[in-house]
Amino acid sequence: MQSANPALTIPHTIWNEMIAHAKECAPHECCGMLAGTDGTVLAHYRITNILQNLTDQELSRFDGAKLRDLQCLLPEERADIAFQMDAREMALAQKDIRAKGFQLQAFYHSHTSSPARPSQTDITIAMEFESYREKLGIPQPLHIIISLADEDRPDIKAFRIADHASVEVPLACEGK
Amino acid sequence: MITVRIPTPLRTVTGGQSEVQVEGSTVSEMIEKLAEVHPGIKERLYDERGEVRRFINIYVNEEDIRFLTGKDTPLKDGDEVSIVPAIAGGG
Repeated sequence: MQSANPALTIPHTIWNEMIAHAKECAPHECCGMLAGTDGTVLAHYRITNILQNLTDQELSRFDGAKLRDLQCLLPEERADIAFQMDAREMALAQKDIRAKGFQLQAFYHSHTSSPARPSQTDITIAMEFESYREKLGIPQPLHIIISLADEDRPDIKAFRIADHASVEVPLACEGK
Repeated sequence: MITVRIPTPLRTVTGGQSEVQVEGSTVSEMIEKLAEVHPGIKERLYDERGEVRRFINIYVNEEDIRFLTGKDTPLKDGDEVSIVPAIAGGG
């Protein structure tokens, strides 16, 4: 995908790595982080989706509808419809991003059977993150979704989430 | 005093407060004191082994306590502690 004024430019190798990550994790959702400078991605961090390890009490961080859906599934099936990043890996990635002089550019995750657009859960939790992001000195990240709904043609889209709504922004894949 | 930033999901146990002031010379002591005023918060932060839950980060100023000395990380007057749940979601 090419765009005249992309919000984020992703090298072809990292673009393909994200798709590979999503396919390796399927039917579970994958998740990760992209970092770089000035809207160009230079580093890719796979983060473990620990959703299936969460206790029933810990699942309560999800909103009502998603929580009910999760409770209907076996623990090993729950990561098919949701993700929870491992906090330690996320903090390690943040530390590496700072050490390299990069900034967080985007969080990504996959939707294995639904379209590449944020769910209500994605928006709610992104807004939670927004409520303390600035105080942690982290620039506003984009949220990228890799849809595997069409297995032969993975769809990658990026969104800016603010004011409890999402707006799609253009992505560019460089070196394709 | 230490300023503790409370994330949205935990504000149910802090009466809606997004920041609370508490004393404590280490992270562990601070959380004990926080739990005296806001019962239930400790269980939300620690797992059954007493470790910080795998989806929670606790930052002292800008550093995660996992890369300092964990719950024994010392605190001093004026420090800012942020409790940050890692990103989640799903379609």
